[in-house]
Amino acid sequence: MSKDKTQKTVQTTGHAWDGDLQEFNNPLPTWWLWAFYATVVFAIIYWILYPTLPIGDTYTKGAFNDITYTTEDGKTETTHWNTRALFEKEMQEAREMQAKYVERLSDASYQEIQSDPEQSGFAFSMAKVLFADNCAACHQTGGNGVIGMYPNLIDDAWLWGGSFEQIEQSIREGRQGNMPGFKGQLSSQQIGDVSAYVLSLSGHEMPEDEISRGEEVFAANCAVCHGNDAQGKTAMGSANLTDSIWTIVDVPAADSMEEKKSAVMELVREGKSREMPAWKERLSDTEIKILTYYVHEMGGGK
Amino acid sequence: MAHSTAQATEQYNYDIVRKFTIMTIVWGVLGMFAGLYIASELAWPFLNFDIPEITFGRLRPVHTTLVIFGFGGSALFATSYYVVQRTCQVRLYNDGLANLTFWGWQASIVLAAISYVMGYTQAREYAEMVWPIDILIAVTWVAYFWIYVQTLRRRSQPHIYVANWFFIAFILATALLHIFNNMAVPVSMFSLESYSLHAGVQDAMTQWWYGHNAVGFFLTAAFLGMMYYFVPKQAGRPVYSYRLSIIHFWALIFLYMWVGTHHLHWTAIPDWTSTLAATFSILLLMPSWGGMINGIMTLSGAWDKLRTDPIIRFLIVALSFYGMSTFEGPLMSLKSVNALSHYTDWTIGHVHSGALGWVAMITFGSLYHLIPRLWETKMYSEKLIYLHFWLATIGIVLYITAMWVAGIGQGLLLRAFDEYGNLAYTFVESVAFLHQPYVFRALGGAFFVVGIVLMAFNTYMTIRKGNRERAELDAKLAAKMAKA
Repeated sequence: MSKDKTQKTVQTTGHAWDGDLQEFNNPLPTWWLWAFYATVVFAIIYWILYPTLPIGDTYTKGAFNDITYTTEDGKTETTHWNTRALFEKEMQEAREMQAKYVERLSDASYQEIQSDPEQSGFAFSMAKVLFADNCAACHQTGGNGVIGMYPNLIDDAWLWGGSFEQIEQSIREGRQGNMPGFKGQLSSQQIGDVSAYVLSLSGHEMPEDEISRGEEVFAANCAVCHGNDAQGKTAMGSANLTDSIWTIVDVPAADSMEEKKSAVMELVREGKSREMPAWKERLSDTEIKILTYYVHEMGGGK
Repeated sequence: MAHSTAQATEQYNYDIVRKFTIMTIVWGVLGMFAGLYIASELAWPFLNFDIPEITFGRLRPVHTTLVIFGFGGSALFATSYYVVQRTCQVRLYNDGLANLTFWGWQASIVLAAISYVMGYTQAREYAEMVWPIDILIAVTWVAYFWIYVQTLRRRSQPHIYVANWFFIAFILATALLHIFNNMAVPVSMFSLESYSLHAGVQDAMTQWWYGHNAVGFFLTAAFLGMMYYFVPKQAGRPVYSYRLSIIHFWALIFLYMWVGTHHLHWTAIPDWTSTLAATFSILLLMPSWGGMINGIMTLSGAWDKLRTDPIIRFLIVALSFYGMSTFEGPLMSLKSVNALSHYTDWTIGHVHSGALGWVAMITFGSLYHLIPRLWETKMYSEKLIYLHFWLATIGIVLYITAMWVAGIGQGLLLRAFDEYGNLAYTFVESVAFLHQPYVFRALGGAFFVVGIVLMAFNTYMTIRKGNRERAELDAKLAAKMAKA
């Protein structure tokens, strides 16, 4: 093609290496040269706009590219382009975008948020990330928890109560859950009997004699926390033992009645302590409010 | 032909070239396999097996060191020692010193890999070796420089061929980079731990001055030297433009030194350093392309060979990827683009389009040219070269597109806001999103690894064939002598 035509007329430099290695003396391609000049022009414009050249102990600040922003304290500043100011500016824009929602939300009651689709939508949108960053490490991304460790938040069983106020209290101040171990107070047989009784409350078939003996053990040792009806007390975070929901012993996963019983016995013997940390130091009031609303609405809020 | 190469074997030190050529392929297979394994760990984390020695954090520097310094470095030693002898028409200076560079270099890589797996690292990217290994490398490298300069001084040609400019620039710059970046104070004579002599921002900027020029001089300038010999040789045509080679050489050498800070955009560095790094990266685009133009225009009179010569295919694809990644690099170094691309897999994709597409492909092409000449025979199988070419090309394309999807996707997910001004995605959602691209990336890597395994087999069979043919020739000669 045209290249072949030019190359026929172009001479080599006259040097040869290793037998046949030679070089044509073609001029620089014009488009290449002009493209290079174009990058120079681009660079100069960039240099004019942004901080560029160090001079002594300062540097050129860049022109026509000032940034004006308002800080969180309401101070307005104008400065030459720099990454810190750009960050402040973006944070300001985000704050302004959210301000109307956040202000309304922080004054609203939970019931008002619930009845206003816009506020409710905002709370969900913000809580999703708050929950993922702060809560999901224990309670899992979907809020389903881990049996034995972290309570499930999406069912309607609540150790410490499922009202807005109770959930907010759990998040703000944290909770200490403590079931003492009974291996010192109760004999092995008593522990076996009371476990059989507890399992019978949620419909498991257990020997009648164990149940009747266990009922007495329960009344003497367990009812003080779990209640005479064994439905638990939210004031102390004690579990409801009459439903099929298990938060510490994974009874449904045990295959036989024997295994279910020995799993419950293990807990009665050793006890269990769990802690939900307090978040009031780490999260703002509004953030706690939003998370409370989110957890309440996840499933079983009361 | 047979006569002249037999002469060449005595005239030139081919032994050192052969040794480095074999190690290029050995490190290539091992390093790329390590890469495939860690890519698979990212896609399927159970592959960590809870064994600290094989987790991503420790195997990743093993991968980068084996491919950059083991595979790439050995390839550069092999080709530069070959090219300097052929183009100066003189034997390589001092066989003993040349052997020292071989054993010093191989020992450094073996020691580095073992120390990383055991958990010893300097925590500087691409310079993870602890200080005793750094000293071994420095000694080896100074010997390399001395051999090269002395060989050039003894040349029987009046002019120094362009490939040698690039090689000498690479050797000199790498010595500077390695020594300044690794200046550190050991905790004690018997400790592998050390503290960097630089501090804070200056330390970070020194590290990326090193890091980017490792790309610029080790992985670009040096491989351009390779290109300037093997492309015109294989095409049988003169280099397109001597003038272009001079201009782009000096522009490249001058501009590369400034751009390292673009690896630190949007961090705690002075804004003006960031601006200079971005603009010098843009200025670097055309000088980088100078090499691509000179290579492609040299091949342009020999397009018909694309049909019959698999080596030309490797070379042309290498030049194309070189052009693409040197366009992508300046683009990513702009502050606004970098805000999206930084800390995402786009960076990983970019470096692999250079490393697989340019560095590995030009090396494969050059070695397929070199191996038959070193062992005085033909390649065992041309079909396998074609197969290697296709496997490698498909592998790269899969790899890069997967990383574009992963990186740009990640960047967009992390900066997405919903209609309320809240972050639209949680971090873990961006991680979950990466699984599929990671699977495709590992698949691309698998293609590439199978390709180099075929090359290793092909080379092994070629060497065996060459040795057998030489034994037969010797036997014939001995028989003739006995008769006479």
